[in-house]
Amino acid sequence: MLMRGRTGIGASQLASHPRSGRIATTTAGAASRKVALVTGGSRGLGAELVSGFLERRCAVATLSRTKTEFIKQTLRRSRRGNDFHWAALDASDHDALQDFVAEVTARFGRIDVLVNNMGMAVEGILPTMRTRDIVDTVEVNLIAALVVSHACSRVMLRQGGGCIVNISSINAIRGQAGVAVYSATKAALDGLTRSLARELGPRNIRVNSVAPGYFESDMVKHMAADWKRRILRRTPLGRLARIEDVANAVQFLASDQASFITGQTIVVDGGISC
Amino acid sequence: MLTRPTPREIESVVHRKIRAVLEERSGESRPIRGVDKLNATLGLSSLDLAVVVAELEIELGADPFAKLVPITSVRSVDDLVEAYRKALVLGAKSAEQDEGLDAAMRRAQRRRARTVRK
Repeated sequence: MLMRGRTGIGASQLASHPRSGRIATTTAGAASRKVALVTGGSRGLGAELVSGFLERRCAVATLSRTKTEFIKQTLRRSRRGNDFHWAALDASDHDALQDFVAEVTARFGRIDVLVNNMGMAVEGILPTMRTRDIVDTVEVNLIAALVVSHACSRVMLRQGGGCIVNISSINAIRGQAGVAVYSATKAALDGLTRSLARELGPRNIRVNSVAPGYFESDMVKHMAADWKRRILRRTPLGRLARIEDVANAVQFLASDQASFITGQTIVVDGGISC
Repeated sequence: MLTRPTPREIESVVHRKIRAVLEERSGESRPIRGVDKLNATLGLSSLDLAVVVAELEIELGADPFAKLVPITSVRSVDDLVEAYRKALVLGAKSAEQDEGLDAAMRRAQRRRARTVRK
């Protein structure tokens, strides 16, 4: 799945923070429910995931660069912030990312699920791409995921379990002209998935990837009609993925039904890559 | 731990956390000595050490391995204790300079303001 521009992130307050030496306090009643942290939850797949976790009565935290209409609505519906927390920040601000994880832990008491969804893509072949765009793509798609995973894995180690889902792409497993940097970052996420699964498995922390193919999104809206027809022709299931097809795979991996699945990449592409 | 711990308290907390991880794994309680090698003597794996570090981050409010000390330089229990002493002493100096959490919160607020303007 490709997105133009960023889905984004932020920290609102340093309520209780390990670096400050203050012990986290938990919002009353929050300890019994699952807590999910979704990066880049302001639109698209991220917003779908936030909604899905809220429907499953989880407490949800997300970060993005901008406060979209979806975030505004969800904040309004949230019961005084008891089940939803959002902050605006930039993916390249590593301290802010770590602060955000500490803040979520302080607010909700734990983090059961992390979905590394935040991502960006700048299309164009590598030889003519601006260096800045290469660095930014790696920063948002890979470094930010590593920094957030680093912080969340510590929380999960302390609580004795958890689950991380990385949003990868079919471009991580097969070549596609014009998205070399994006592909590289997504393949790196799959590598992270496998190694982190081995590192953290003994502590009951599962790590998996979901690799979507083409799905109905803003990017596909701008796709040339003949290109879209070609994709449909090559897809055994004969349609593009709906956003919920991808979200359902993430929800499955995050659920107890996937309790013996770790280190895997689930491809959700209607069969186009098979 | 809101007040700065003494060196003896740091040692005590580090020993306690190591003991807890060992107990959880083997079900046995054993005394911890400063000279004990984390891996060779006590049999702590890198993941066990990560659990100890994650616990100590909360208990002592410091993470020496974020910027200050490479984890690969820590071989013995005393090395681990020393890493936290160093982090807490430097952290305290730094906190005195910038008034600690309040300054961190102000920095975070400024950062957010900058982000929103972008």
